[in-house]
Amino acid sequence: MSIVLDVRNLKVYYELGNGVVKAVDNVSFQLYKGEVLGIAGESGSGKSTLGQAIAGLIRPPGRIVGGQILFKGKNLLELSESEWRKIRGKEISVIFQDPNSYLNPVYTVGFQVAEAVEAHNGGSPKHYIHKAIELLKMVRIADAPRRAVNYPFQLSGGMKQRVLTSIAIANKPELIIADEPTSALDVTVQAEVVELLLELKKELGSSMIFITHDLPLLLEIADRIMVMYAGKIVELGSSHHIRNNPLHPYTRGLLESVRYERKAKLKSIPGSIPSLISPPPGCRFAPRCPFAYEKCRKIEPPLKQVDGRLVACHLFNEGGNDG
Amino acid sequence: MSLGKFIAKRAFQAFVTLIGALLVVFLIMRILPGDPARLIAGPEASWEDIENIRKMLGLDKPLYIQFIEYVKCVFKGDFGKSIKYGTPVINEILARLPYTVLLAVAAEAIAVALALPLGVYSALKPNSTLSRFISAISLFGASLPIFWLALIFIYIFSAKLKWLPSFGAGSWKHLILPSFTLALLLMGNLTRITRSSVMEAASMNHVTTAVAKGLDNGKVLRRHVLRVSMIPIVTIMGLQIGSLLGGAVITETVFAWPGIGSLLIDSIFYRDYPLAQGIILFIVLAFVIVNLAVDFIYGLIDPRVRSRTWS
Amino acid sequence: MELANTRYNNVLSQIKQEKTKRRRELLETLRKNKWALASLYIIIALCAMSLVSFIYTPYNPFQFNLAIARQPPSLSHPLGTDELGRDILSRIMYGGRYTLGISFISVTLGALIGVALGILAGYNGGKVDTVIMRIVDIMLAFPTILLAIALVAAVGQGVKSLILAISITTFPVYARLVRGTVLQIVNEDYITAAKLIGLSSYKIMVKHVLPNTMSVVIVQMSYYMGLSILLASALGFLGLGVPPPKPEWGTMIGGGRIYFFSAPHIVVIPGIFIFITSLAFNLLGDGLREALDPKLRGLLRRG
Repeated sequence: MSIVLDVRNLKVYYELGNGVVKAVDNVSFQLYKGEVLGIAGESGSGKSTLGQAIAGLIRPPGRIVGGQILFKGKNLLELSESEWRKIRGKEISVIFQDPNSYLNPVYTVGFQVAEAVEAHNGGSPKHYIHKAIELLKMVRIADAPRRAVNYPFQLSGGMKQRVLTSIAIANKPELIIADEPTSALDVTVQAEVVELLLELKKELGSSMIFITHDLPLLLEIADRIMVMYAGKIVELGSSHHIRNNPLHPYTRGLLESVRYERKAKLKSIPGSIPSLISPPPGCRFAPRCPFAYEKCRKIEPPLKQVDGRLVACHLFNEGGNDG
Repeated sequence: MSLGKFIAKRAFQAFVTLIGALLVVFLIMRILPGDPARLIAGPEASWEDIENIRKMLGLDKPLYIQFIEYVKCVFKGDFGKSIKYGTPVINEILARLPYTVLLAVAAEAIAVALALPLGVYSALKPNSTLSRFISAISLFGASLPIFWLALIFIYIFSAKLKWLPSFGAGSWKHLILPSFTLALLLMGNLTRITRSSVMEAASMNHVTTAVAKGLDNGKVLRRHVLRVSMIPIVTIMGLQIGSLLGGAVITETVFAWPGIGSLLIDSIFYRDYPLAQGIILFIVLAFVIVNLAVDFIYGLIDPRVRSRTWS
Repeated sequence: MELANTRYNNVLSQIKQEKTKRRRELLETLRKNKWALASLYIIIALCAMSLVSFIYTPYNPFQFNLAIARQPPSLSHPLGTDELGRDILSRIMYGGRYTLGISFISVTLGALIGVALGILAGYNGGKVDTVIMRIVDIMLAFPTILLAIALVAAVGQGVKSLILAISITTFPVYARLVRGTVLQIVNEDYITAAKLIGLSSYKIMVKHVLPNTMSVVIVQMSYYMGLSILLASALGFLGLGVPPPKPEWGTMIGGGRIYFFSAPHIVVIPGIFIFITSLAFNLLGDGLREALDPKLRGLLRRG
């Protein structure tokens, strides 16, 4: 399988008044063509920042301070702003999490979809209104011609999420980054949207990064899963491996917690993500980890190959089976 | 809510405000020192003359009847007769109105032309030196005594440089000093509001969507930042024009600009109370109507308001 | 009942702690803002100057001497003399009591009326609210300077009518501001708890609602000091404010106006004092606003 995206030692920092937040700290992974890669973690784990970095949407005070993002072999971090513009929305697009605030309230949804086509084909959004209606049909909005002239406030949350999706697929991108696309929606609507996303992905032959706090959902839809904690990868492996044998205590915690409550409030692991301005030495999860021992608080665990996946934890030995 | 209903509701609110304002003006004028009847009759009138005038003016009737009569007259367009000129007040006002409108429009246009670009710039580059300078200027604008600034301008541009006439109206040159003085005063607020609303709009999530589409910066700015930020800006512009239509009292007085504002000051010094009362009323009327108009302009910019208004 | 009582006390002590913390933060922010701090010093200096004038001025501010009229600043008259040969420095010092005093009294008066109406409207809601806010709307329908002119024209020229005019023109904004703040806090836990334990409405308003509105009111007062100084001096300039020979700063400019071309300092100097005073209050207001709870910032507006 060919590699679409190759992220190497990526570092994204937020330079705030009271210090530097290392939101993404030395993250490396690959994405294969046609694959769905799930990224799981609590809010503050850096998963959304990672998605934004790949789409070139980091804004000050955020800054990419190191690493490479190789997209089809080209390092995106060396692109000029105008080169970036040709990639955004055409080769890489993003579906955002809150449909209510990610649409412009003063334009019709049809205009906003047409605009996505216009951005890469020139002319005026008016020229692409038929194309926009077609796209709205593709995301299965009933009565698309009539809906196209509606304003966002006239549509339901699920419908708005579909509009955002149609904007993202307007130019048949090779990579779709779905950033918590369902977290603002009703449970009933969530399933429909996820199903739609997967179908569209298949139809367009794209690859997808699906970011969510909902690890069980990823177990169902993703080919591989990457679990992040406090800006670091803690476990990365196939859904099969993670479903059958989650290794990292954090991964286990995520699975257990969501078993009780879909909102991933990590009931089973007390505490919260540490300050990323001055993270604890050693393993960042150590303060909350029920299995932490001396070494965890002193030495940061490297990512190592264990039982067919990557895991960053001192409990396991390289190549070993269990801890 | 239907369009008709919305208009009716807003118009009714404006009407209530207007009646309230009428009452305030009426009461202020009734606590005036001196007896209007005596004033109108002149210093040599006999007690009988004054009583007759009092009856003629209806001043012998109870206060609430006087008020109702007054409101009736106002709605007929009868604002009373000027003591000084002996002509209907409304004629005097209408004669001065074009000057006031001219000054108001010129000043607001200059202020908008300067404040919008400055406000947008300082919103997009908040830490640049120019932005700091712009904030300082807008703060100065809010703290400068305008009558003093006007005198300084006259001193520099009329007395020293002899470029522009210092007072009166007639040519376009006469308009320059008063309109720029007023514009400077208006700019402070306008720049500040523009800056803050553009900053707010630029930080909204839908802007990220626009960037992620691959739109160029110009379009992102025009369609997704500026258009959304226009609502508070239009409000302030409306309020400013509303109060300018009532005459920029101080500016008009300093520059002897023959508008409604300087007429008001004259009328007060001549103790021409019917005229003063009429002018104040007219100003409030203009203010209320412009505010109503601003409400409707919202609908053109923001479909959410329009839906409450027009659908 | 028992439960409500404990809860009430708990929340109270929590609020107290939070308040002390906020106050400390406020002072800290203010100390860091050098413009606001400089403004505060300037305001204190101007007030001190006006107070000193009660016991000492370099010359008699009312003593005219046409022989030395319209002299530019010199060693014996640091700010020069005016159109009648009076010492401008002495007049500025003496005039401070009018310009600053009138502004201060009317801003306080306006705030008192406005806060009372705002709390009544916000806390009671319903008809009381509607009636009060209607009145406020009507008052706001008059452009500020116009209402002041109309009132002064009606009541007659003088210090008292000036104070009346300025406080009447400014109270509606406080009312609106305070009502907004009250609506934000009226559903907080501790208000509910206070109601549950049976405190009277009056007590709740004075003890819990009023203190919470103070910070926005103080910021608005600072802004309105800046505005009132401009308003009082503009009326003085137009001949509708403090009547001459009293040296209110705006009145001084009005009096010296016809000699402006030959002796500009007569007009320029009082204007600079008006400008600096107004600027200082606006900057102080900005500083206080920065230090304020971000939730409340949106309610404020300058002038």
